[in-house]
Amino acid sequence: MSDALSDAGSDVNQDDAQEDVMTPAELIAKLEEAWLNEKFSPELLENKSEVVECVMEQLSHMDANLQRVKKGDAKASIHRMEIDRIRFVLSSYLRSRLRKIEKFFPHVLEREKSRGEGDPSLLSPEEFAFAKEYYANTETYLKAVALKRMPPNLQTVDMLKAVPEPCLDSFVFLRVKDRQENILVEPETDDQREYVVDLEEGSQHLMRYRTIAPLVSSGAVQLI
Amino acid sequence: MFCEKAIELIRELHRMSDGQLPAFNEDVLRQVLQEMEALYEQNQTDVNEAKAGRAELIPSIKLRHCCLLRNQRCLTAYLYDRLLRIRALRWEYGSVLPANVRFHMCAEEVQWISQYKKSLASFMRSLGGGEGLDITQDMKPPKSLYIEVRCLKDHGEFEIDDGTVILLKKNSQHFLPRWKCEQLIRQGVLEHVMS
Amino acid sequence: MDTQSYLPVQPGVGMGENFLSLDDIVLSHERLPIRTECRFPRLGFLEKSSDSQDIPEGTKMELPLWLSKGLYEKKRRVLSVELPKVYREGWRTVFNADPNVVDLHKMGPYYYGLGSQMLHFDSPENPEIAQTLLQTFIGRFRRNMDSSQNAYNEDTSALVERLDCLEKALFTSGQSGLNSFQSWEKGQASQLTASSLVLNYRKRKITDLQP
Repeated sequence: MSDALSDAGSDVNQDDAQEDVMTPAELIAKLEEAWLNEKFSPELLENKSEVVECVMEQLSHMDANLQRVKKGDAKASIHRMEIDRIRFVLSSYLRSRLRKIEKFFPHVLEREKSRGEGDPSLLSPEEFAFAKEYYANTETYLKAVALKRMPPNLQTVDMLKAVPEPCLDSFVFLRVKDRQENILVEPETDDQREYVVDLEEGSQHLMRYRTIAPLVSSGAVQLI
Repeated sequence: MFCEKAIELIRELHRMSDGQLPAFNEDVLRQVLQEMEALYEQNQTDVNEAKAGRAELIPSIKLRHCCLLRNQRCLTAYLYDRLLRIRALRWEYGSVLPANVRFHMCAEEVQWISQYKKSLASFMRSLGGGEGLDITQDMKPPKSLYIEVRCLKDHGEFEIDDGTVILLKKNSQHFLPRWKCEQLIRQGVLEHVMS
Repeated sequence: MDTQSYLPVQPGVGMGENFLSLDDIVLSHERLPIRTECRFPRLGFLEKSSDSQDIPEGTKMELPLWLSKGLYEKKRRVLSVELPKVYREGWRTVFNADPNVVDLHKMGPYYYGLGSQMLHFDSPENPEIAQTLLQTFIGRFRRNMDSSQNAYNEDTSALVERLDCLEKALFTSGQSGLNSFQSWEKGQASQLTASSLVLNYRKRKITDLQP
């Protein structure tokens, strides 16, 4: 099972390969982490397609194993339940991403376009294809039903301006995984000095997403 | 005042805040477009006169232009919100929409939803390196593999995993794999009986 | 939530407006008392009380918020916007004294939304308006939150009828949280249910049939 779960890259040396191998439990923990972060963050996070692919592989692996187990075996139904639960988390994770892609499609595509070479991509290849089609489909529809029937100077709508951006000022609950110092909660204004906090490991907070967004992507905090 | 027709369209959707799709209102849509045409033409005339020296026309030109933009905004928002409702139907009903719902869409909306379905399907098919995963299922965390369901209407024959075929007859009760029933429950064909 | 598939475009936050939000479009249809600061030739028919061809300078009339906002310019005045009564000093005193006694549905129903939009127009009273909006909201929030978190299985129409639209939305979201929690406690959260959209369609079909 472990080679099914290891990252691609079989020709790296032994030590590196060792680090790349994840146990199934670690993999599921990674999925749950990504799932909760995606569920609670107002914006679309970086894609985790390697986790998705590994989990899918793991699921079909488990499924194949189950086929070999005799019918009526009690262990089989426990395994099947486990498959169902993992599949739920995976589907729910992909659903929240897809929903945000639809909700913010012009911005998501814009970010993808302006991404520097070598920067991690926000969307997986499948999501990118979906987003592009969604954009084209929606634009075609608006044009055909109304925009092309309008006076010449009104036949386009700037989708980037029309479709709202994610609200980064939403508040989120989080748990601290790695201690952080000097997190700027409010910048200095005329009436108050800047407001800075330390985040202790294991502590939980309710904070403005914008202030801790980098910590979510670095994995230092977990949204809950 | 201008733009009264356009707000009528918006109110029509705003009143149905649960996401139901009212019939496509081509009639009012056309009236709004006609108003836009008239506003545009009047502005063309006034712009030409203003250029020829009648600068006092500018405030009126500006007012009409605001109305044009407002109409454009209302129509776009009307259509866009309808797309969000139509999208919801795909997720609630599954890939086959009932006739009474389809009846409320215009031809372009039917096209939009079929393209949406296609995009969604190829997205789901391509997941996990081409293995595929139906993410419109598993909407709630599973508690058990099998669930007790009651049939709310005659649905005919229904095949479960192992090839067994059962008859879904009104008021009959069955013990079925949860993931097989999810969609039928959402459509109101089956009811999940909690013990 | 995963289970609700129709998610409309949310209204803008604070002074912002979202182009595609139905809420914002309806809100911006609210009418404001204005005074024209120039002549609007050939648009006399918009002003019912006059029969002249133009709207003369100095006309007092009502215009929707979206149009007032579109025409308003700080430098070159084409119109001046008057404050609706509820935002004027007289009412501000009442709101500041006890925000809980006012019927914000009757005074609004977009008391906060329209109030925030009024800040787009240059007025010396803007800081006080903003302050009153904020204090009114804070003053009413505790009661609103408490009742939305505690009224379980009750008729809430009396609680809701005096709320502004924003407050009503918050109340509803509190209620849905409470209901989800209760159903989870009773072990019903895992029950698979029919789509409410599907059920509503069916209801509509039935009412359609009734004469």
